[in-house]
Amino acid sequence: MAIHDSGKLSARVKPKESFDFFHDERVRSVFYQILTACVVGWLAWYLITNTAHNLEVRGMNTGFGFLSATAGFDTDFKLIEYKPGVGTYGRIFLIGCINTLLVSFLAIIASTILGFFVGILRLSSNWLVARLALAYVEIIRNTPLLLQIIFWYVGVFAILPRVKNSIDLSVGAEVVFLNNRGLYTAWPIPGDLFWMTIAAFVIAVIGVVILKRWAHRRQDSTGQQFPTFSASLALLIVLPGAVYLVTGSPLDWDLPTLQGFNFSGGASLPPAFLALLIALTIYHGAHLAESVRAGILSVNKGQTEAALAIGLRPARAMSLIIIPQAMRAIVPPMISLWMNVVKNSSLAIAIGYSDVVALFMQTALNQAGYAVEMVGMTMAFYMFISLSISGLLNIYNKRVQLVER
Amino acid sequence: MSMVKAEKTAARSAPLIESSFIGWLHKNLFSSWINAILTLVSLYIIYVVVKSLWIWGVADAVWVAENRRECFDISKDGACWAGVILWLDNIFYGRYPRGELWRVNLGGLLLILWMAPLWLPRVKDKIFIGLSTIFLYPFLAGYLFAGGDKGIFMQLMITGGIVCLMGNTLHSLIGVFSGGGLPEFLLGLLGKKDASDGNQRNTLLAILAVTFVAVYALQMSWTVEVVPWTKWGGMFLTLVISGIGITTALPGGIILALGRRSKLPVIRVLSTSFIELFRSVPLITVLFMATTMFPLFMPEGFVLNKLVQVIIAVCLFSACYMAETVRAGLQAIPRGQYEGAHSIGLGYWGMMGLVVMPQALKHMIPNIVGSFIGLLKDTTLVSIIGLFDILGMLRSISQDVPWRGLHKEPLIFGAMLFFIICFIMSKYSRHLEVKLSAGANR
Repeated sequence: MAIHDSGKLSARVKPKESFDFFHDERVRSVFYQILTACVVGWLAWYLITNTAHNLEVRGMNTGFGFLSATAGFDTDFKLIEYKPGVGTYGRIFLIGCINTLLVSFLAIIASTILGFFVGILRLSSNWLVARLALAYVEIIRNTPLLLQIIFWYVGVFAILPRVKNSIDLSVGAEVVFLNNRGLYTAWPIPGDLFWMTIAAFVIAVIGVVILKRWAHRRQDSTGQQFPTFSASLALLIVLPGAVYLVTGSPLDWDLPTLQGFNFSGGASLPPAFLALLIALTIYHGAHLAESVRAGILSVNKGQTEAALAIGLRPARAMSLIIIPQAMRAIVPPMISLWMNVVKNSSLAIAIGYSDVVALFMQTALNQAGYAVEMVGMTMAFYMFISLSISGLLNIYNKRVQLVER
Repeated sequence: MSMVKAEKTAARSAPLIESSFIGWLHKNLFSSWINAILTLVSLYIIYVVVKSLWIWGVADAVWVAENRRECFDISKDGACWAGVILWLDNIFYGRYPRGELWRVNLGGLLLILWMAPLWLPRVKDKIFIGLSTIFLYPFLAGYLFAGGDKGIFMQLMITGGIVCLMGNTLHSLIGVFSGGGLPEFLLGLLGKKDASDGNQRNTLLAILAVTFVAVYALQMSWTVEVVPWTKWGGMFLTLVISGIGITTALPGGIILALGRRSKLPVIRVLSTSFIELFRSVPLITVLFMATTMFPLFMPEGFVLNKLVQVIIAVCLFSACYMAETVRAGLQAIPRGQYEGAHSIGLGYWGMMGLVVMPQALKHMIPNIVGSFIGLLKDTTLVSIIGLFDILGMLRSISQDVPWRGLHKEPLIFGAMLFFIICFIMSKYSRHLEVKLSAGANR
C-alpha cells in the first residue's frame, strides 16, 4: 500500500509522468470498492440462497401473510383489545411494541429524575451524602442488569404477600394494593362532560406559555421579575379545577375490590412489569448520575464563583447558571442512555413480561415459526426507535450549536 | 532599616477548624442545618441497611446444612449460604467433569503466566508478548478445555504456543533480572556475541527449530479426554465467551472503524450500516437471531453448535461497539499527526499502523477495559437462550430439589462476584486513564 502513495508523491514531483494505470489512486480506489462490493454481495447472495434452500427443505412457510392469521395464545398484560383465537399475529406484534414502549417510557422518566438527583448528590459538600451516592452508583454499575432484574423479580416481588393479605399502599384508603400478583390501583372513568375539563387544561397550558413570554419580555425591558412559576401553577390547577367542579365532577373511580381469589376492577400491573421498571430505573439512574456529575464538573469553576459573587444562593446558582450550561455536556450521553433503556427493556424476557421480544420473537416464533420475518420485524422496530431517538439528539445538537459562539 | 526583622517568624499552627477532626466534621458534615439533617438521615440509612444486612447475611446466616429445610430449622430469618457453598464448584465451572477441573485452572494460570510480563517494567518486546497471547494462547487453552484428538494443525499451534510461552517466560525473567533479552542471553551462552548478524540469526533460528521439534515430539503422546461444550458452564463459560468476544472485538472494531472513516464511499457506507445495525438492536435479539437464523444461513448438513453460534453473535456485537470506541480514539488524534505521517512519505497503512493507531490505542486502553466490563456483564444474557453461564448456574440452584426456592442468596453471591471483578477492573482503568493522560498533559 505504501507503493500507491509513493506513486502519488512522485506524480506530484514530476507532473509530466505518464498515466500509470496500476499505481493511480483513483483506479485503485475504484478497484478496492468494487472488490469490497463483490465480496459483500457474494456473501449476501450465499446466505440468501442457503436460507431459501433451507426454508424449502424444512418446509417452512415464508412471507408476511401470517400477520393476519389468528394467534392461539394469550398474554397476561395488554393495553389494547386482544382475544386468543380471534386476535392476529399483527396485533400480537403491536401489543409487544406498546408494552416495550410503555415500560421504557416510564423507566426513562423515572431514571432521568433519579439520575439528576443522585448526580447532584454525588457533588454534595456533605461528605457522607456524597459517599452514599457513590456507593449506590458503584454497586449498581458493577453488577449485571439482568441479575438485578431477576433479583427484583424473584427476590422482592415474588415473595410479596398473597392476594388475601395485600399491602395497602394508600394507608387504609383501599385504593392502591400490592401483592404477589402485582399492583392494583383505582382507575378513572371519564364522564360525559369530562372533555370540558381537558379543554380547560389545554387552555391553561396555552395561557402559561403566553404568560411566560410576557413575563420574559417585561423583565428584559423593565428589569422587573414576575413570579411566573407560582402564577403558572395556580393557573394550571385553578382553571381546570373550577371547570371540573362547575360541570359536576364528571369523573368516576373504578376501585379495585377483592372478589374471591383476586381483585377485580381498577387497573393492574403485573409483578414482572414492576420488577423490570424498578430495575431499569435504578440501573440507568446510576449510569445517568455519572454523566450528570461529569457534565456539572465540566462547567468552569469561575461560573459558580461568579454566580455566588453576584449574590445567588447555591441552589439558585445551580439551577440558573450551572445546570443550563452543564446540559450541553449531559444531553448527548443522556439520550444515548434513553436508547439503552429501550434496548435493555428487552431483558423482560427473563422474567416473563410480554414485551416485543418475549411475545413476538419468542412465543409467536415458537408457535408460528416465521423465523426470518419475525426476527427482522423485531430488529426493525428497535432500529426505528433508535433512529428516532438519535434524530432527536441531532436536532438538539444543532440547537445547542446555534447558542454557542 | 533597623526595623527589618532578622529571624523568621514562627508559623502559627493551622486554625482548629481546618486541622482537627471536629473541624473536619464541621466542614464536611454539619456546615449548615440542612447538611446536618442530611448527615443524620444518611447515618440512619447506613445504620439500618448495614445492620439488617449484617443480621441477615452474617449473624443469623446458616453456613452448613444439607438442604433448605435444614437451613430454616437452624435459623428462620437468616441467609442460607450453605446452598451456595455446596454449589460453588458448579458456579465456577458448571458441569465440567470434577476430575478434569485442573485443566480449567491450568488454562487460567497459563493466561496469567503469559500476560504477567506485560505489567513488568523491565521486560522488552511487550508487543510480541501481547500478540502471541491473542494468536497462540487460544489454541493451547482451547485444547486444554475441549480435549480430544489433535489434528495436525492443532498439534502445530499447540507446539507453537508451548514454545512461545517458554520463550516469553524466560525472556521476561532475564529481562527482570538483567534488563536484557532472551536472544542476547542465548548468544552470550554460546559465545557468539561478536559473530556476524547472519550467523547470529541462523543460530537463533536453529535453537528455535530444535526446541520446536522437541516440544512437538513431546506433545504428540499427550492427550486429554474430550469434554463436550454442553458440560462447560459457570464463571468459566462466562469468561470464555467474554474473553473471546473482547479479543476478536479489537481487530474487528479497528477494521470497522477504519472503514467508517474511509474516503471510499462504498466501504464507508457498508461499515457504517453494519455498525449502526448492531448498535441499534439489543444483544438479546442478536442472540436470538444467532440461534434461529444461523442454522438457516449455513449450507445444508453443516451444523454449528449453540456455543459457537453465541460466540459469533457476541463477537459481531462487541466488534460494533468497539468500532465506536476506536473511532472516538482516532478522532482524538490531531490532524497534524496524519499530515505529518503523509509528509514523510508513509502510505495509508503505514500512517495508520505506525503513527496514528499506536497513539490512539494507548488512549483507548481505559475505554477498552470499560468495554470488557460491559461485555462481561452482558454475557449473562446467554443464560436466557439456555447456556449455563454463571447466571444460569445461579438460577438453577433454586431448581435443585434440596434447595428449591433458594433465589436470593445465589443472586447476591453472584452480584458480589461481579462487583469485585468489575470494580477492580474499573478502578484499574481509571488509574490507567490518569497515568496515560499525565503523560499527555506534561
